[in-house]
Amino acid sequence: MSFDVRTVTGEWDYATLPQNVRLGERCWIERPQSFERFRSTRSPGVVLGDDVRVHGWTVFNVEPEGLVTVGDGSVLVGAVFMCQAEIAVGRDVVISYQVTIADSDFHPRDPEERRRDAVASAPQGDRAGRPAVESRPVRIGDGAWIGIGAIVLKGVHVGAGARIGAGAVVARDVPAGAVVEGNPARVVPA
Amino acid sequence: MTELAHDWFPRPLPDTVSLGERSWLYSSYAFMHSHGTVRIGPDCGIYNGTHFELGPEGSVEIGRYCTIVGAIIRTNARVAIGEMTFIAHEVVIADDPFAIPPRGAAEPAVADILIGENAWIGARAILLGGTTIGDDAVVGAGAVVRGNVPAGSTVVGNPAQVV
Repeated sequence: MSFDVRTVTGEWDYATLPQNVRLGERCWIERPQSFERFRSTRSPGVVLGDDVRVHGWTVFNVEPEGLVTVGDGSVLVGAVFMCQAEIAVGRDVVISYQVTIADSDFHPRDPEERRRDAVASAPQGDRAGRPAVESRPVRIGDGAWIGIGAIVLKGVHVGAGARIGAGAVVARDVPAGAVVEGNPARVVPA
Repeated sequence: MTELAHDWFPRPLPDTVSLGERSWLYSSYAFMHSHGTVRIGPDCGIYNGTHFELGPEGSVEIGRYCTIVGAIIRTNARVAIGEMTFIAHEVVIADDPFAIPPRGAAEPAVADILIGENAWIGARAILLGGTTIGDDAVVGAGAVVRGNVPAGSTVVGNPAQVV
């Protein structure tokens, strides 16, 4: 079986992407597999700015109502976006290896609702019976850097120029220019 | 020019890569982003999910009988891994906590990362620039390590601490 090397070098045909994926000038996407779980029906559902670089570990897991936007000059190395409603990444943001950003828990917290959700989510289940789940938009400010293995959870606003340390789990807002580390992430001296 | 008999990725190993006898490497795809030098000793297993992301000054040396289940190694310095060391799934070994893949351009000098013999690095652990892991040490799953892990010790957590 022959393998087309262009599918892992960013030289594949970007016209094969869904019509609701908007790409800026000189945008580079290493692998089309980053969009295998993209199922937004919004228009647009993903917007990537000029000069954005998207490495093959990145995943746009976007639900039908979801929108992910990425500003000019940002680099996504291994950004796994779990998006139900909206994740907005600013300009010149760096997202390193193995980062997860989610704007929802995707499942209810209440134990009884979780049981209903489990049944409705089964392969042959009735998805219409799934309980509603809250989503809260995530915003990553311009020039922020997100370290290896960090996790950013729903509703978090990361301020411009902030630094999220490796392995941090961020559930609360990060002020502009702040450095946070740990689980739960806390501000440390810059 | 070395080609792996089982390789799905249609490129030979880079000239700057050597693979010891009886060692298994899942694919030349592991070097897709690499601009550095990699020396893998004999009797090692380097499995799917492992990526060598080396800048032009980067080098990795792996001793015999090592197992790397799946690690991303991103360096422009030296990463040395002693014999019989085991590295689990989704580990990242990187100079910088905000690392991005190399593009072949010159990069600033950074600190080496040295891992001793018979060490055990747990799943999803992160080892950052300047880290030294002693012989027989254990790094727990998900630990974030920066600095010195004494020989024979066990560290866990973020930041990693001896237990």
